[in-house]
Amino acid sequence: MMLNVARSSISRRLTLMNLLVSASALLLASIGFLAYDQYTYRESLVRNLSAQAQIVGSNSVSAITFNDPQAAENTLSALRSFPNVLSAGIVLQGGHLFAYFPHQSAENIVAVPNVPEGSSEVSVFRGDEVVLVRDIVFQGKVLGTVFIRSSLSELSHRLSRYVLIAAVVLLISLIAALLISSLYRRSVARPIISLAETAKAVSEQKDYSLRSDAVPDGTEIGLLISSFNEMLQQIQSRDEALRDAQADLEHRVQERTQQLLVANRELEAFSYSVSHDLRGPLETINGFVHLLLSKYGPNLDEDGREYLRQVRGASRRMAELIDDLLNLSRVTTTAMHKQRVDMAALARQIVQDLRRREPSRQVEFVLGECPSTEGDPRLMQIALENLLRNAWKYTSAHSRAKIEFSCENRATGIVYFVRDDGAGFDASQADRLFKPFQRLHSSSEFPGTGIGLATVQRIIQRHGGDVWAESKLDEGATFFFTVGQQPQTSQIVAKTG
Amino acid sequence: MIRGNQCRLRLATAAALFFLTLAVPVLGGAAPAQSSATEYQIEAAYLLNFGKFVTWPAASASSSAAAAPKSPDTFSICVLGEDPFGSVLDATVRGEKINGKSVTARRVRRVQEAAGCDVLFMGESGESRNHKAISALNKAGVLTVSDLAGFLDRGGIIQFVLSGNKVRFEVNLDAANEAQLTLSSELLKVALSVRGKRAEGGPK
Repeated sequence: MMLNVARSSISRRLTLMNLLVSASALLLASIGFLAYDQYTYRESLVRNLSAQAQIVGSNSVSAITFNDPQAAENTLSALRSFPNVLSAGIVLQGGHLFAYFPHQSAENIVAVPNVPEGSSEVSVFRGDEVVLVRDIVFQGKVLGTVFIRSSLSELSHRLSRYVLIAAVVLLISLIAALLISSLYRRSVARPIISLAETAKAVSEQKDYSLRSDAVPDGTEIGLLISSFNEMLQQIQSRDEALRDAQADLEHRVQERTQQLLVANRELEAFSYSVSHDLRGPLETINGFVHLLLSKYGPNLDEDGREYLRQVRGASRRMAELIDDLLNLSRVTTTAMHKQRVDMAALARQIVQDLRRREPSRQVEFVLGECPSTEGDPRLMQIALENLLRNAWKYTSAHSRAKIEFSCENRATGIVYFVRDDGAGFDASQADRLFKPFQRLHSSSEFPGTGIGLATVQRIIQRHGGDVWAESKLDEGATFFFTVGQQPQTSQIVAKTG
Repeated sequence: MIRGNQCRLRLATAAALFFLTLAVPVLGGAAPAQSSATEYQIEAAYLLNFGKFVTWPAASASSSAAAAPKSPDTFSICVLGEDPFGSVLDATVRGEKINGKSVTARRVRRVQEAAGCDVLFMGESGESRNHKAISALNKAGVLTVSDLAGFLDRGGIIQFVLSGNKVRFEVNLDAANEAQLTLSSELLKVALSVRGKRAEGGPK
């Protein structure tokens, strides 16, 4: 895992933060010191000027008193030693300029502000100079005023020097902050970056065995790292437990499925053998009832013969039941041999058989144009036979009946259906239809074993299709079924071919 | 720019010179500044102002037997001999105070009478020419002032002189020392000339 400490955004931010904090702190401090320095410099400047003015004033008293401007100018010229003093002068009470000291060459005389009543001096800052005016008082009398103009260039020099120093200090501090923050990056940014990269790797690779290799220290970051690693540990162990449980479950399902398959096969073998073995005694019963009737029938009275006919009828129904059971058993166990099956032809043949058996029934058979399908012809025959026989049976109460075999194209594929106008059934009972031995009508009303539709369902399901029914009581019933998932093109080809 | 500045400077210099010429005849201190002030008006004002720059010895400390007691409440400016001031002196000192004392102007006729004065202007008279009389006044602690030529040579302390158009004065420090008067350095600074030396360790 490559740790690029210097380029990560968090260390950049930490560095930036350090720089900003130190820069702003220094800047504020510098501004504060600067303002204070300027203020105190002005104060001391005014104090110095005031002292100078006082000295000049008191040394000029005699000069004023005895009208000696030269002496006053000599006094004023002592200000020569102060390079900041631009000019100075003494103004008498009447407003006349008594003495004037031009520093260096000539200077312009500025308007001298008046000393306000009640105070002895005033200082006025204007532009790059300050003018201080002070009363000259002798023996309780104001003789005049002395004014000193001083340049403030020292102030701006100080300011520029100060700004220069502040800039240098700021630069050095920023470099120092940069160095310090690069040291701190190691202890602050590196663990966070490592953690972030580990988290990214975990979420990208879904590998919960990864761990952040940052060494947890006593800080919150350390806590974060150790918690994160602990969390990964938990996820990993939970993952493993889950995988184990899943494998275990799968194993158990397989086991159970195997057991079920075995049990089911045994059950089917059992029911097959039972059904098969029942046939032998039934044949015997049938045979001897037949013998009894043919040989001793005339010796019996009418009641006796009727009883024997009942026995024969019951044993015939039982044989049918056994046949159906064997069919049901066979359709689930026998191997399928799939080939093209012409459903319409199959239906036509079955209906012909039914007519032949009961030529007295007036039944109109409508056969739609349906494509052939892929399936086991024997099983398809059984399924279609069951459906058409049902339709035949449940229309038997009607003097004229109508049975239809057709199909329609739906989005899911070809849907075949068998429709009759017979007794129908209660739609709310539809889910019971396809269960073995479940009947919606009594045997006396419509004879039957209750196995036929269960057989149909098994055949259709073995072909990967589905079967369902729609009906209203006394308004006929329609049974739909599909055979697997067939692409539309193959149907068209099959039909034209 | 440069031309403008130079122009301004020249104007300012001219203005300064103008103000200086106006200031020439201005009177110091008590006297109102008047360009029309006469020589004697100025001298009267100076007589008053000398008192402000001179320290007299304390009365008890006076060792001179001839010293007449000076009034503790008034500061006397006297005129001996010919009086050139007239009412000017009286007008000048009216309402003035020196070291808390109210100032009066007096005319005296004799040297003995003048011993009680603080400042004495000696006009043309026998005494003003008399070396001894002046020396006696010095011993009495009187600040002797005159406008007579050679006054300092005769032992006077301050002598008015006309320098150009201006009234100036000269100082004889030896005479001042004799009178035990301390002339402030401020006064000496504006004097046209000073002869003699300051008394060492003299009273401030």
